[in-house]
Amino acid sequence: MLRAMLTFIQVLVSGVAMGCVYGLVALSFVLIYKAADTVSFMQGELLMVGAFAVVALQAAGWPLAVALIGGVAGAALLGAVLERTVLRHTLGQPAMGQSHLGAVLLTFGLGLMLRGGVTAVPAASHGMFALPLPWADAVVRLGPLSLPGGQLLVMAVTALAAAALSLFFRYSRSGLALRACAEDARSAALMGVPVARMHTLAWALGAALAALAGVLLAPITFVHLNMGFIALKAFPAAVLGGLTSLPGALAGGVFLGVVEALAGLVLPEGTKDVVPYLLLLAALLLFPAGFGARRAA
Amino acid sequence: MGVPVRPSRADAADMAARDDLPRTAAGARASVRRALAGFALAALALALACLLLGTDYALGQATLVATYAIAGLGVVLIVGQAGQIVLGQGALVALGAYAECLLAAAGWPPLLSLPAAVALGACGGAVASLPARRLGGLYFGMSTLAFALVVEEVLTRWTSLTQGAAGMLVPAFGWGGWRAQTPLAQFVVSLAALALAWMACRRLLRSRLGRAWRAVREDEAAAAACGVDLARAKSAAFILGGGVSAFGGAFYAHWIGFISPEQFGLMLSFELLMLVFLGGVGRLSGALWGALVIVSVPQLIAVARDALPGEGVGSAGLETALFGVVIVAVVLWRLRGEKRRGGSLR
Repeated sequence: MLRAMLTFIQVLVSGVAMGCVYGLVALSFVLIYKAADTVSFMQGELLMVGAFAVVALQAAGWPLAVALIGGVAGAALLGAVLERTVLRHTLGQPAMGQSHLGAVLLTFGLGLMLRGGVTAVPAASHGMFALPLPWADAVVRLGPLSLPGGQLLVMAVTALAAAALSLFFRYSRSGLALRACAEDARSAALMGVPVARMHTLAWALGAALAALAGVLLAPITFVHLNMGFIALKAFPAAVLGGLTSLPGALAGGVFLGVVEALAGLVLPEGTKDVVPYLLLLAALLLFPAGFGARRAA
Repeated sequence: MGVPVRPSRADAADMAARDDLPRTAAGARASVRRALAGFALAALALALACLLLGTDYALGQATLVATYAIAGLGVVLIVGQAGQIVLGQGALVALGAYAECLLAAAGWPPLLSLPAAVALGACGGAVASLPARRLGGLYFGMSTLAFALVVEEVLTRWTSLTQGAAGMLVPAFGWGGWRAQTPLAQFVVSLAALALAWMACRRLLRSRLGRAWRAVREDEAAAAACGVDLARAKSAAFILGGGVSAFGGAFYAHWIGFISPEQFGLMLSFELLMLVFLGGVGRLSGALWGALVIVSVPQLIAVARDALPGEGVGSAGLETALFGVVIVAVVLWRLRGEKRRGGSLR
């Protein structure tokens, strides 16, 4: 009985940790969706590139902390550059299905370029890399319960990032401007908000969040070429959170992670990967406004 | 928001003309002339390709182009006509391919198995679009994407039926004692199939439903005010589009001769989207031109890669990256052209 209980708690914790990663990627989707009104299909690739950048910087002899900051900042810069050079051209298109289509295809194409670029590096294309994050290999014991430190680290960093983001959006000038843009770009422009610059900021933030998720994923799945596939599961997370709510996206991600982990416990091997997508379909059918969303009129 | 009035005859004629649907005699003549010119151009290109590349190879590629075009027609209905977004059309192609493969292996003649494949695709389209029926917009993208990922997983896991990731061999197309095994026969069959799908789509676009789709695309509120049932019109687009794509998938299975779930992944869905985006989403002929590009680009990339120095290790990545470059370049080119003309993408 106690043993079953312990297993349950351990699965729950690992689910929450995985869910935090989903949540971070979902956050980046929602951020971009709100600010730029497009769905980014390259978040998975940005996640992978960010993680590889940190691995490469660390291999080049940088201290881990500096490599981490460098990798995430580099991803942010990449996001900003891509927005400036390529994605900006979808702006000003009529807000019909077709403009979504252009932006979706662009991000998909950019994702392929990133992916192809990393694949072309022989060292990166075959092999798994570990990131020696602090406490990742430690085991925390609470009485009879032992929890891997990596998972606790993921949760702690996610909480920190979420807190920093909410402070940024509540108190900083650019954060408020970004929110104003997402709410109503036209009015924001009339109030003197540099809308184009805010778009760049949104893509940069989105890329940085994805890279952070990649770094946090490293202790769970290692760094490899296909780690970006996880970003597909951030879509259900974002939809569960209502597609436009940042806290909702994070909560949706954690919920998804937990449900997936529990499904792995109950359902036969292999079916657990379908669970997020079935959840997405069910959520759209039953709770079209999302669980946490305040329905905008 | 448009003023909810019934479009006048002149407006209707204008809308119809923009969608390549002639109503007047002069328009009809121009359209016939254009169709003939396109046909002549295609025939000429095919003849040239036969000369340059060898007949069998060129015919094989032309067969693929026709098959992709059929699958693309389904996306044209959904994206171009009804103005909805679909991110998982590859799964409906997969449903058509697997249905046709299993039924053909069971000895069904094409006259029975093809309608079954189409019906399965239509059911898939209905299920994929059902959750987002009342939400519309991006939610259709999400629900079709989720459906596609579920289908791919099911095709991989249901090994007793589909042999999973190992894939299945598909029997040759044919009935009675006849089998379409030469490239010429396959080309003729796929051309006939394309013509069939094309005519069906043309009829559809001229029908009440086609007009409803274009009304929904232009302005949902105005369409609703004119008595168009939005949810029903959108569902119909996904159902019929799914059926058409599955029809293409059935032939794809025969011509490739081997199907496995990974052929129908996200990549195919995006290829189909790019195909209609390239050719112009509003026109049926867009599917054909887009298919031509989609089939030839990977080959051109392979040629370009062979021409580049330093072959070997990174070439697989280079191919992916080049394909990405092509997508980005083409989309930017289209967007810029539309911006200059000041219109939306039609």
